[in-house]
Amino acid sequence: MTSVEQEILTTLSKELGEKMLQTPLSQLEKVSVRVNAGIHRDALKILLDKDESAGVSAITGVDLGETIEVMYHVRTHGTIATIRTRVPKKDPRIKTITDILPGANFHEREVADLFGLTFEGHPYPGRLILSEDWPKNLFPLRKDAEIADIENKKENITALDESKQSSDEGVLTTVIMGPQHPALIEPEKFSLKVDGEIVKEVKPRIGYVHRGIEKAAEKRTYLQDVYLVERICGICNACHATCFCQAVEAIMGTEAPVRAKYLRTIVLELNRIQSHMLLLGHAGLEIGYEPFFQYMWRDREIAMDTMESLTGNRVIASFVTIGGVRRDLKEERIPKIKAGLATLKRRMVFYKNLLESDPTLKMRTKGVGVLERQDALKLCVVGPVARGSDVKMDVRKDEPYAAYDKIPFKMISYTEGDSWTRLMVRLDEINESIDILNFALDNLPTGPYRVRVPRIVPAGEAINRVEAPRGELFYYVKSNGTAYPERVKMRTPTFANILSFVHIAEGGNIADVPASFVSLDPCFSCTDR
Amino acid sequence: MSLDLTLVFRALVFPGFSFIVLLTFLCDWIERKIEARMQNRMGPTYTGPAGILQPFADFVKLLAKEDMVPRNTRSVVFKLTPVLSFSMFVFAMFFLPIDGSNVILNSSFQGDLIFVLALVSVANFFLFLSGWSSSNPYSEIGATRVLTQFLGYDIPLSILAFGPALLASGLSISTIAASQRIPFALLLPWAFILFIIALQAELEKDPFDVPHAETEIVGGYETEYSGRRLAFLKLAKDVQIVLGAVLVVELFLAGPYGPVFLGIPEFWYTLWFILKVLLVVVITEYLTCIFARLRIDQVLVVNWRVLMPLSILSLATAAGVAFWLNLGVG
Repeated sequence: MTSVEQEILTTLSKELGEKMLQTPLSQLEKVSVRVNAGIHRDALKILLDKDESAGVSAITGVDLGETIEVMYHVRTHGTIATIRTRVPKKDPRIKTITDILPGANFHEREVADLFGLTFEGHPYPGRLILSEDWPKNLFPLRKDAEIADIENKKENITALDESKQSSDEGVLTTVIMGPQHPALIEPEKFSLKVDGEIVKEVKPRIGYVHRGIEKAAEKRTYLQDVYLVERICGICNACHATCFCQAVEAIMGTEAPVRAKYLRTIVLELNRIQSHMLLLGHAGLEIGYEPFFQYMWRDREIAMDTMESLTGNRVIASFVTIGGVRRDLKEERIPKIKAGLATLKRRMVFYKNLLESDPTLKMRTKGVGVLERQDALKLCVVGPVARGSDVKMDVRKDEPYAAYDKIPFKMISYTEGDSWTRLMVRLDEINESIDILNFALDNLPTGPYRVRVPRIVPAGEAINRVEAPRGELFYYVKSNGTAYPERVKMRTPTFANILSFVHIAEGGNIADVPASFVSLDPCFSCTDR
Repeated sequence: MSLDLTLVFRALVFPGFSFIVLLTFLCDWIERKIEARMQNRMGPTYTGPAGILQPFADFVKLLAKEDMVPRNTRSVVFKLTPVLSFSMFVFAMFFLPIDGSNVILNSSFQGDLIFVLALVSVANFFLFLSGWSSSNPYSEIGATRVLTQFLGYDIPLSILAFGPALLASGLSISTIAASQRIPFALLLPWAFILFIIALQAELEKDPFDVPHAETEIVGGYETEYSGRRLAFLKLAKDVQIVLGAVLVVELFLAGPYGPVFLGIPEFWYTLWFILKVLLVVVITEYLTCIFARLRIDQVLVVNWRVLMPLSILSLATAAGVAFWLNLGVG
């Protein structure tokens, strides 16, 4: 436990006093306190008072048999403080924290959906992840959920037509964006209430690609789970794998060799480069600037080819594993990779010049979809979206993992918080990533690239965070001492960012919706899991 | 009898219908090639030498596809508008001198410039109707955008078209084309540039392609069309692009006229005509590639605050130039 974490713990125990329950030694390395239901709001307020940039990173539910444990993972001072509370399964009710932190909205609804908890006072209760016809009293992540014969238990839902519900609202018309829409590559639904060309209200509905991966992870061994979590998202697959493996390694008490840490860093940064380039090209397409899209995606091939020569795969790397990485980087490949990176670096100068000078590009993105710093903090956004709004937050700096503590790099942040700055953050980060890669390739230590680990993981739990291209990726893994995990919770960056879309779209022009939406770099496969 | 045969040949084969459609395919191919090269791609390569037959192949493919009419459409309007707008654009082409004279000989009259501009307006209105009759939210938004944009840009376009008319002191297109010993693009370069910009909006090309911004409103007014109706709708759009280019050629680049060498002058006139049209197509396509799409409100701002005053100013200066030229001649 670092000194900062010690300080947070002292503050909490001083302020809470008697209300803090003595937990049977938590195996989490980080701050973790247990309180009675209801007191969690006080604990959260204490943390918020101490640090204005504190926010909810995730809310995890775990089925403990008679009770359900709800964990509020609060991101504060660059680390995670966990507030635990238990509610009885018979009467699963708990007070909401959305009035303190609006950003907890989706996190609470997800737990409500999957564990059957009622968050009292939540402004928009209702289905979020599961479909409308999912059986009412079946909560998939509870251990006693009977999911056999699910087809016949489905609720009979016929009226899904939202346009009928809004008929009494006069001049407002409802424009439904999605689940199928050319601006959305993946399926989610956003109902926009429109007054002329101005968007008045946005209602998001996610869950269209929910695959139950958290449940599926409980049925597989740890090693199989590595392959499963990689398939949550094709673009940032290495981040998912790294995050999961680091969490499992933390429970096991093993550590990957130094060379493996460097190789992980390399594959993570390659992931970041290709993800950011994909997004920038896609943004060009959304605002009708096709040459930008075509150029960007052609240059992205350099990153893809490098990924292939390193891991053997273009997209899903299958590179990171528990205890290290699965392949070594051959010395003779390094010059070719560095030549590719040098080309990329030259191209980035060109793109930066383009983004800064093209008038039509700026007309469509500058001052569009502004997310103020205060709102960014309230909505608990992560990654480039937060950094575009001057929230200095980067897991690579806050809590270095892999080899990031040994590699110098800058944290990029802008102050304006509009679509343009969000694109610029990504462009500058590609530059930083190229420098990180060059440094890592130059200083690649020798030695083994993996250690063998046992299949059975001792009982325990761990939190791990990785800075994915889209922002902070959060994993919570709980082990029960077998080869199968008890609970795997993943909170993906888009899940944290999607609320901010509602915020920036409301009051804006309908033609700006695709442009501002794409600047958040949404990934719905991640969001729904 | 022989005169009638000439008329039929001129109307149907050269320089009438078939020639215009073939020219349209050629321009479409050039456009696609340029756009592809600008975007670091190959463009069509497969059908014919360097893919030159690709637009034709696409047209034939669409003709063979299933033709569906959604149940809620205003059926008659929905079915007729693609063909009507296509024929309107082709008809407008008949009044433009292609091989030195109009398609139908001696059909040129004083004021056919206004007539052609009016035909273009009507044809555009048919495009609007095609979207409006589709009963699809995307089509309807696309259709209203066509109309909004068209209403805005037709006025500056017409005003700018009168500049060359003033210089030629005549409202007949063949007079304007024939009177350009020096192309008007050199005499009125500002009007030429403004005309190209207004045309860019008229033809719904970037940065003004809001009526079919695919990421916002899918296919715009053509969303519900399929099969041969879509084929004709797309062909109508392509003929419109050629028509716009031809207008530029006739008004600013001395029409089909240019140096005549050996042989029949019609051959040289046609050659100059095609080359000039391709030049204009290249310019407009180049502009399309280097800009991002504006928003509809930004488009209107550009129109009413920038293009409108400038076009009036341009007409005034054109009048000044015309006066000065007449003095020189007189």
